[in-house]
Amino acid sequence: MRFSGFSELLSRPAGCTPDAPALRYAQGGVIRTCTFSGLHACVTARAEQLRGENKQAYGILADGSFDCVVEIFASVLSGRRTVLLSENAADDVLIEQVREAEVDSLWGDPELLELLKPALRKTAEGGAGKLLFFTSGTTSRAKAVVLSDASLMSSAYNGGALLPLDPADTLLCMLPLDHVFGFVCGLLWGLSCGACVALSRGARCYHEDCVFFRPTALSAVPALLGFLLKYRALNPELRLILIGAGGCPESILTAAKATDARVCFGYGLTETSSGVALSLGEGDPYAMTVCPDDTVTIADDGEVLIKAPTCMMLGYWRRPADTAEVLKDGVLHTGDLGVLDEAGRLRLTGRKKEMLVLSDGTKLYLPEYEQALSDALGGEAVCVLLVNDLPILVLEGEMRDTTPIWARIRPVLDARARNQQIRAIEFYEKPFPRTASGKIMRWAIQREREGL
Amino acid sequence: MTRREEILNKTREIIVESLPELEGREFNEDTVINTDTGVDSMGFTLIICRLEAAFNVRIPNRQWQKLSTVKDVVDAIEKRMPKA
Repeated sequence: MRFSGFSELLSRPAGCTPDAPALRYAQGGVIRTCTFSGLHACVTARAEQLRGENKQAYGILADGSFDCVVEIFASVLSGRRTVLLSENAADDVLIEQVREAEVDSLWGDPELLELLKPALRKTAEGGAGKLLFFTSGTTSRAKAVVLSDASLMSSAYNGGALLPLDPADTLLCMLPLDHVFGFVCGLLWGLSCGACVALSRGARCYHEDCVFFRPTALSAVPALLGFLLKYRALNPELRLILIGAGGCPESILTAAKATDARVCFGYGLTETSSGVALSLGEGDPYAMTVCPDDTVTIADDGEVLIKAPTCMMLGYWRRPADTAEVLKDGVLHTGDLGVLDEAGRLRLTGRKKEMLVLSDGTKLYLPEYEQALSDALGGEAVCVLLVNDLPILVLEGEMRDTTPIWARIRPVLDARARNQQIRAIEFYEKPFPRTASGKIMRWAIQREREGL
Repeated sequence: MTRREEILNKTREIIVESLPELEGREFNEDTVINTDTGVDSMGFTLIICRLEAAFNVRIPNRQWQKLSTVKDVVDAIEKRMPKA
């Protein structure tokens, strides 16, 4: 069902199906249910309170709880510009993000609020209906993408049009709500189809949540799905698994298909409010049908270009030059490489951008990482590739003892999140291929390594 | 056996229980969990949860990223256990 925004998403089912379950969550070890009318009442009451506080821009540390969901919807309904922040980001990253997004009020873990308070602004620019999501990197290059509740609801509609859920379904929301895939495919997709959304109890309970909530649908990043499969943590009622936000290794896909669930794969970007194309669980899982509101074309150099009038970002917050660089005449230049088959289905073939997307959906910006590694190695030429979804370091020249190399790069790795740390060192026994301007052609090394 | 040795042994046991493919591998306090054991971030979360349950402590989620070696994990648990 198509909704114009969060207000309609909450009010329409509250009128039509007031007693249908909207959210399930755990409280004191017991599953609580909030109906659509209950959710509407909670959100409207909280929105009224927020309006009275006379603040314009609200940073929400998204912990995935029931209160957090109410806070996000209420903030948007109250007319505040809403900024979603990761409670697991490093302190300095969070402080930077709060400054960058120019917020004047915050919600979340009290300990974190104390840390972030000095970064708050006294006054801030509002923006009714605007939601800011930081692209999921953890470096200074992470940008806030300005979306709207209307674009997010269009994206949810796109997902529901290709993969409908019904009111008897329970969608388990395990992904962080500060990530647009988690927000749209973990929350809005379910609610917009009239299904119930079960809110995960958090990372400590990931391995038990499926059995606890008995979902029929699950959206997951490849790393999470791989974990659930490895520890046999999926429940037998599960009928649909949507994988997104990162390249999915064949091994995970194969294991997922061995369950009784229909396994679909999605492609989208924060800039397009999540999903652009989905495989529908039949035939080639990597051949994705383009969503109804979107148009995909392929540029001469293979880059995936997207026109998504209803789902496209409004721009990067306070970065018009960056916006203009990727969004030209309403067409998003994604930096991904792909092809369209004769049926118009999209298949991704690689990345043009200087960025890797890890299997948990986070992005690894390479220039500064490679610079730090190169500096640690006395200016040696380096490149970082993703192999079996793990970052590896490639050095130019003949194979040599890696022990002193590990010792020298260890401080750089320790400063990085666990999933970004280099797992192996390899050697490229000839000069790195470079562009005319001297930049290392990382994609060419990757393709050569994969025997393409 | 000192308390630290007890934590170290339990940590080894839980890592192997969570990653059976590591059975027979040597672990010491300097073992870097990521690169030396191949555990991914999700597997690491499970190990920490099992250790928390075993020692009845709670390591805040935001601290997890800072735990690199087995020693870091043992320190984090020891610090949160009641004084002997």
